[in-house]
Amino acid sequence: MAYRYDEQSTPPAAEQVTDVAITRFEHVFEVDPRLMAEHVTQQTFPNWDTLRIVRSRTDHLAWMHAHWCTTVVSGEELLAELDAE
Amino acid sequence: MTVTESLAQHVVDSLVAELAPVLGDEHVLTSKTARWNRARVPAPFPVHRWSERVPDLVVLPASTEEVAHVVRVANKYSVAIVPRDGGTGLTDGAVPERRGIVVDVKRMNQIHEIDLENGTCTVGVGINMLKLNEVLGKHGFIYPDDPASYPCSLIGGRIGTSGWSLVGSRYGHSRDLVLSFDMVLPTGETITVGDGGGQKLTKSSSGYQLKHLFMGHQGTLGIATRATLKLFPKPEAEFSPFWAFADYETAYRAVGALPRAGVATFAGAVLFDEWKVDYLRRDDEAYIPQPSSVKALVCAVAYGNEDEVRAGGRRLMRIARDLGARYLGDEISEGDWAARHDRYATPLHGRTRNGQVAPMSWHCEDAAINYTRLPAVRVAWHGILDRLRRDYDVFDDWGMFAYTSGNTGLDYLTEIDVGIWEQELDDRAWAAWVDAKREIAAVSLAHGGSISACHGSCREGEVDLVPEELGGAYEVMLKIKRALDPNNVMNPGKYGLDRAYRTEDS
Amino acid sequence: MTDLVPLPDPTVHSEAGSSTEEFVAEWRNAAYNCFSSGHKFCREVCPVTQVTRNETWTPTAFHANVVAMEQGDLTIEDVAADYVNCTGCGACELRCPNTLYTGDFYRFRTRTVDLVKGVRALAVENGIHQPGWQRWNELTDQRTHEPVLGEQPVGQDQVRDWADGLNIPIGGENILFVDCEAAFYRTSVPRAVAQMLQLGGYEFGLMQEQWCCGGPAAEMGYVDQAKRFARHNLDNWHASGAKRILVLDPHDYISFTEDYPKYFGAEFDLEVVLVIEIFAEMIRDGRLTPHVPIEKAITYHDPCRLNKRKGIWKEPREILRAIPGLDFKDVDRVTQWSYCSGGGGGLPIEKPELTKRISDVRIGKAAELEVDTLVSACPWSERPLSASGDEQNIDVTDLHELLAESLGITVGGRRGDT
Ligand SMILES: Cc1cc2nc3c(=O)[nH]c(=O)nc-3n(C[C@H](O)[C@H](O)[C@H](O)COP(=O)(O)OP(=O)(O)OC[C@H]3O[C@@H](n4cnc5c(N)ncnc54)[C@H](O)[C@@H]3O)c2cc1C
Ligand code: SF4
Repeated sequence: MAYRYDEQSTPPAAEQVTDVAITRFEHVFEVDPRLMAEHVTQQTFPNWDTLRIVRSRTDHLAWMHAHWCTTVVSGEELLAELDAE
Repeated sequence: MTVTESLAQHVVDSLVAELAPVLGDEHVLTSKTARWNRARVPAPFPVHRWSERVPDLVVLPASTEEVAHVVRVANKYSVAIVPRDGGTGLTDGAVPERRGIVVDVKRMNQIHEIDLENGTCTVGVGINMLKLNEVLGKHGFIYPDDPASYPCSLIGGRIGTSGWSLVGSRYGHSRDLVLSFDMVLPTGETITVGDGGGQKLTKSSSGYQLKHLFMGHQGTLGIATRATLKLFPKPEAEFSPFWAFADYETAYRAVGALPRAGVATFAGAVLFDEWKVDYLRRDDEAYIPQPSSVKALVCAVAYGNEDEVRAGGRRLMRIARDLGARYLGDEISEGDWAARHDRYATPLHGRTRNGQVAPMSWHCEDAAINYTRLPAVRVAWHGILDRLRRDYDVFDDWGMFAYTSGNTGLDYLTEIDVGIWEQELDDRAWAAWVDAKREIAAVSLAHGGSISACHGSCREGEVDLVPEELGGAYEVMLKIKRALDPNNVMNPGKYGLDRAYRTEDS
Repeated sequence: MTDLVPLPDPTVHSEAGSSTEEFVAEWRNAAYNCFSSGHKFCREVCPVTQVTRNETWTPTAFHANVVAMEQGDLTIEDVAADYVNCTGCGACELRCPNTLYTGDFYRFRTRTVDLVKGVRALAVENGIHQPGWQRWNELTDQRTHEPVLGEQPVGQDQVRDWADGLNIPIGGENILFVDCEAAFYRTSVPRAVAQMLQLGGYEFGLMQEQWCCGGPAAEMGYVDQAKRFARHNLDNWHASGAKRILVLDPHDYISFTEDYPKYFGAEFDLEVVLVIEIFAEMIRDGRLTPHVPIEKAITYHDPCRLNKRKGIWKEPREILRAIPGLDFKDVDRVTQWSYCSGGGGGLPIEKPELTKRISDVRIGKAAELEVDTLVSACPWSERPLSASGDEQNIDVTDLHELLAESLGITVGGRRGDT
């Protein structure tokens, strides 16, 4: 992943998802920036940083599961078994 | 509230002269930053009054003997001592209300022994559970004390608060998991507290059962230094379904039915009310896209052997399905549960009345309430906050959780989360908040509950109601305090225990 | 939609000669965002706190101090020395729930590293110097390079000595930038990198007149100097028609992808590429095939500035897995958020004993795995890790050195003192 200033400082266009949230990157929500106009203003966020956080979060959650146990039982599977009864 | 004066410099100098030769110069701290940063815990407090609770000095002992030395010196000079471990406590327990010496025990974080055959380990109280479990995991064990501060609270604080664990319905809470510990009493003697005389027993009937007494006292009865903990086999499997409900009532029924199902691997269930769901819709990726028909949520969690977790899990799924719940899917369920060990109120979650983001601190009210009283407490509590929020635009209602405490659905840690914008919190708003806390606590008592299931009830406001809550038992508390701490040096100012000393003077 | 407001640039105020009040005004919300959380999820991942257990030197305290400064309770004089105790590893700010769970959502995350740099800069601006750092930066200024060899000379006359015999041209579109530690102390690393690039057919040259990237000066609070150095390098690249900067050192990678963009904005129009990513790609597409078996039991040390601060952890593992013969006992990247060599942020200059304690712990973790070698990918980590490794009988090797060996390259150069 080569770094280029112009690429990194241009986030994808925003799409409104709810009254208070938007998305720019696929499956990544952000606060509607209009809500951060008075008391706290947003920071400059290069794209790599958003993606770094998103990926680290996923990794961290997977780590937490592994920290507590070996397998995670799927509710979807159990529900399918129940529904098949 | 009266503010305690700082100690005179010559007293500080004498204390340093007595302490430094034993603890080492670098472990007796008097710098401003050392003191200011041990004057706070995460519980909200007006920022402009920070300096009122700054200690005179800080020590970082490395052994029980060093702690005992500090305690003896404090008695000699009649100076307050405040045990501090992780500093994550939410009831101001580790805040030096009478200044004095903060005894920061974080350096005592060694693992002294792992007894693989009996399934125990002995540690210094400065160790953190997650860090400990990184080591225990390699041996196939886990120490399952799992507060939402799992990666940051420490064993000494767990003892000092007698903490509550998210998976306590399966494994018990701190008091069940800590088998015994060494305790430096307020006069400097050291005892070992546990069931009977052994260090590694879960049950003894020999003598008074002092373990309970020496847990949850918020550092008012001494300082624990080394603890022996009960270990469990690291679970093979985990199951953590999250379900959506169209109304609170049904969700409430579910959170009662799940523990009552008698599933052995059941480790806990949580109910999220309508306010909590609204809260999550603001900034939680799992809930932003949920349809507006979702009004309440319930999650359950089970740990154990895979076959047993599967069998029990099926039962839990059936109960929820039969109540009309919608399973939120594996991705949300697994992600959200994994985040429960450490995800907590983000300051930017705060919103002013016009919806603008404002950085707010998190107040966590944590009453113990019986199942049948949950709906009524919820209505009363939200009412109190609603009035408060109307009067002051520095508070925000972040909704309620009800978590199972035991495995039968008898009582629930009932939590209302309040956002408080401390940056803008003036004395008037603080006074209104203290009143509100008192009212919140009164509601818990009116419903036959307890002010705190988890953190302790030392905070301004609610603490006034502790004598009412405990009745005659509070008088016994005063007698014990006085007997064990004749000079009132151990964390004075907490729980109104100063009364123990006033009685005699008058 | 409102425009985004730039994040506090820890370096801006010092140029303007501004006061503590301005600093505090700039940082108040960021500091308060931590103060009002106060939960200390950062504590157990902080390398300094892990070994000192001293709450005065935690990310929590570093933020709270700013709030106390706003209250008028503390001054820059009171706090300056505490801020030495940070390696800039970035663990705290990534682990912080305000980053990890909601940083992307609010476009507002915990920035301990920037804050620490900012306080250090404020201290320097107020004439409060840490003696070791002051001397280090004076010498760097004189020599255009960091005094990594102590009294031995480092400067323009020696900066390309590492490349002796490799026939690397000067200039061109792709410039290999070699940090001071690698250029003068651990010369085996740039030699390995250069020869692998040559083997893979990647054209590149060296800078006409390379100066230190300026990152260390910025980290220690000597901001004007840092910017002067950065300006020199940028001008030199522009003058020689460079388009792409190849970087082997994670610290440089941070300077070029974080500091330079802040200093220069759109004027910084070059591409920055980490060579590890090039090598991983070359292995993937067959331009490089490691074939000489290396019979070693190794584990990998995630350099903080790659793993925590940039999220780069896959490619190094990909490379290691491609080397035949290795018995690779990996420790996952999340566990390694709490690992550090102690070599960053200027810590070894001011507090070598603290760096050593941190390195000892890191090497101890490797020893538990019963490996004989710890592989790193950051020259700055390799000196302290090697020192601890010598004591615990663990060899510390650079990833590039190891890969070069497996490609049959005779690397040459020296691995520091050893
Ligand atoms: C995000 C977050 C989530 C939380 N979730 C939970 C939860 O789910 N369950 C829960 O129970 N709590 C929770 N808490 C509260 C807190 O983590 C617990 O109260 C914890 O037990 C405090 O531990 P600590 O090490 O931080 O102690 P501290 O805050 O340092 O101390 C707590 C009390 O214990 C006393 N003390 C400290 N060390 C000793 C010692 N060695 N001997 C005697 N007394 C001592 C102190 O004086 C103080 O009164 C949460 C806190 C946060 C910030
Ligand atoms: S840096 Fe983050 S994790 Fe640490 S105390 Fe501050 S808010 Fe909490």
